[in-house]
Amino acid sequence: MDSPPFLRMSGVRKRYGGVTALDGADFEADAGTVHAVLGPNGSGKSTLLKVLTGVVGPDAGEVRLRGEPLRPRGPRDTLAAGVASVYQELSLVEDFTVLDNLLLGVEPTRFGLRDRRAATARALPWLERFAPAFGGRVPVRERVGDLDPGERQVVEVCKALVRDPQVLVLDEATASLRRGQVEVLFEVVTDLRERGVLVLFITHRLAEIFSVCDRATVMRNGTDVATVTVADTPERELVELMSGQPQARSSAAPARQAALRTAPDTAGAAAPAVGADPSAPPRLEVRELTGDRLDGVSLHVRAGEVLGLGGLQGQGQSELMAALFGSGRRTGGTVLLNGAPVRPRSPKQAVRAGFCYVPGNRGGQGLALGRPILENFALPSVGRRAALGVALSRRREVAAARSVAERINTRYGSLDDPVSTLSGGNQQKIVVGKWFPTEPSVVLMDDPAKGIDVGAKAEMFEVVAELAASGAAVIVGSSDDRELVEVCDRVLVMFEGRVVDEVFGDRLTEDTLIASAMHITGADVAAAHSGDAAAELPEPDHDPEARAPGPDHGPEEGGA
Amino acid sequence: MTTTIPSIPLRRLAKDPVVISGAVTLLLWGAASLYSPAFATWGHIVTTLTVASFLGVIAIGQTLVIIAGGEGIDLSVGAAATLSAIVASRFMNGSDDGLFFAVLAALASACVIGVVNAIGVLVFRVPPLVMTLGMIAVVAGFIRLYTGGRPEGSAAPLLNQLVTGDTVLGIPGVLWLWLGLSVLVIWLLRRTSYGWRLYAVGANRTTAYLSGVNPSAVKFSAYVLSSLFAGVGGLLLLGYTQNVYTNLGADYMLNSVAAAVIGGTALVGGVGGYLGTIIGAILLTVLSALLRTMQIGGGEWGDAPRQILFGLVLIIVLTAYGRQKRLRG
Repeated sequence: MDSPPFLRMSGVRKRYGGVTALDGADFEADAGTVHAVLGPNGSGKSTLLKVLTGVVGPDAGEVRLRGEPLRPRGPRDTLAAGVASVYQELSLVEDFTVLDNLLLGVEPTRFGLRDRRAATARALPWLERFAPAFGGRVPVRERVGDLDPGERQVVEVCKALVRDPQVLVLDEATASLRRGQVEVLFEVVTDLRERGVLVLFITHRLAEIFSVCDRATVMRNGTDVATVTVADTPERELVELMSGQPQARSSAAPARQAALRTAPDTAGAAAPAVGADPSAPPRLEVRELTGDRLDGVSLHVRAGEVLGLGGLQGQGQSELMAALFGSGRRTGGTVLLNGAPVRPRSPKQAVRAGFCYVPGNRGGQGLALGRPILENFALPSVGRRAALGVALSRRREVAAARSVAERINTRYGSLDDPVSTLSGGNQQKIVVGKWFPTEPSVVLMDDPAKGIDVGAKAEMFEVVAELAASGAAVIVGSSDDRELVEVCDRVLVMFEGRVVDEVFGDRLTEDTLIASAMHITGADVAAAHSGDAAAELPEPDHDPEARAPGPDHGPEEGGA
Repeated sequence: MTTTIPSIPLRRLAKDPVVISGAVTLLLWGAASLYSPAFATWGHIVTTLTVASFLGVIAIGQTLVIIAGGEGIDLSVGAAATLSAIVASRFMNGSDDGLFFAVLAALASACVIGVVNAIGVLVFRVPPLVMTLGMIAVVAGFIRLYTGGRPEGSAAPLLNQLVTGDTVLGIPGVLWLWLGLSVLVIWLLRRTSYGWRLYAVGANRTTAYLSGVNPSAVKFSAYVLSSLFAGVGGLLLLGYTQNVYTNLGADYMLNSVAAAVIGGTALVGGVGGYLGTIIGAILLTVLSALLRTMQIGGGEWGDAPRQILFGLVLIIVLTAYGRQKRLRG
């Protein structure tokens, strides 16, 4: 064990502005292993692997591969060193064929011309290997744009493999794959392991770690907490390592299961909410909502209540809000606002019905940056103050903007200045404040405090409290568990498009949320294990994700 | 401190495209007056403004479409103006009897162009540049079918009277009309909910959409208004020239874009206004008149040298704007 490890990263630090992503992380992995990197949102696991692949330059620290220092200036250098990666965000050119995409940047040439035969010879074996994942075909000449998202992700994996990597990084690469495709990928990963390749694996599905990984490194707050052998480590221990505290689950378990049962099934019933009158009927009730990434979501919120949506990133939180606001796809389910069903088909209709939406991406979705502060304040409600719905009075507009700015304590020079001249925190307050004049009954906030400093964040959430106090039901999605604990009366934890846990009262702590986010329902674990045993490779139907036994996972949770 | 306070608005003023283009216009006019004192006469000023008014009216819609963003541009304004003039002249046929109906038919035919443009851009996602460029050919073909290559009829005397007839101080009617339309459009952009939504859609379509605005409806109306105002411009041209020809509006295609952009309406959308376009239209007209007076070109070379100089000046002015930092994400 004294020989230098195949891959060693030591003392890696990385700061983004005021945020520390990596705080002296150490990491070691051996060739011929499948090594998982685990951790809650913002623990630095993705950043660590991006340092390895050269996408991110570290502020300090060293990376050694086969004992030699690796100082990449970009992904090209690490690729030359044998590190290839597959990310969740796709890097394919849609208008190119699969073959052209696979060899982009490494096209074999003859006399300076592209050698198609050599290209095919190089790419074909991998595509044939993954044929079951393409429904049995080998799509060499198909346009990538014509493939479905899962198939594109498989092409992305092939693209990394064609480069004959010594280290393969899979960063949430299984998220958009179907069960059968994951099986094929895992077979290939097992082969690679035998050939001495190191596979680094980030996933939010704990079951996948148990089925394919040898070792696991747990990250928390930008450092590595522990590296364990997966086979010797019970699931509970992994979760404890991630949340940083012993779970004491055995004693709390009954209460937890009781809470779980009330959450998804009987949305309208009981479940005391702290910030609102529990006897009041819910302001908003959602029953079995389905759509993009939504697999039957039920919830309810009362007037004056702040409901959090927690869990790992990308489990359907944003899609849920988009579906409620009419900007996302909604395929089934019922939404009741004050007891009456609503089905807005556009944000315009949603606004009219009493919804409002606060995006986290201020510049892209929340503001018209080049336009004056006044116009940004006025946009959602501009028609309501106009004579005959058309003619504006500048005096009235200014008065309306001023009164909101005062309520939310925004500092600005002149209302005619472009909104881009304000600080990030003040900008975000305007994204919230512009809805005040519409007197919304339901406020949907999607990671509203993203990228603003702590002080501004606190002020932002005072604005949220103000909205709730004025009688609105507030739903806040956030990737920051601490934020949810501080702001929310009650938090629903989402996993793969479903609500898997409801947390409130004394249980509402950061640790509970982290543990709950990583936790998989009994149904999922069972399904994953049975999937291990049975080789259900060709999966003819295009059912996205395994739709595990459906809405009644509460009781099965108890059985696991 | 006391010295910096007045300097801030001054500096801001010096960066305002409307102020810059206004200054350039005055400069050009000054140079022209030095070269030929006739430029400074009241009559000449009125004539220049009259010529500018047609461009100004046609560029109203262009300004709206560019502000609405999404690479918005309407190259078919010239075609819409021509069609409107040709339809009107046929219905008028030199008499005042069918004036009202002729105007209605002319504007309706122009609006059809706008509706088709909007459907192409918004429903079939054709890039505006391509859609409106293609529309020019379609309209040209239609005009040939409709007129058999030889447009008939002529303007109603009343229309001619309205456009060219002197009112106070020798100012022709068309200038009063332009003034009225200008006030209307500036009010529309600055003091109506429609105008604010138009700017918001142009500055950030997603934000507007997520704030409860229907961006497609806003853009649809911008394209239709563009053709409508181009149609009005065509009618005024008909009143001015009294007779029509098949490339009556051809020059206005690029000049309307140039007028808007010179006036500070950015092609990225969400920035600008009609006051700038007015000044841009005047600037272009003064420049063109100056080059003509200096008798650059003419003779065996025809229009060519003047066109080259005209284009060069445009490029220089627009390059100067390109250096400004735009306030965008």
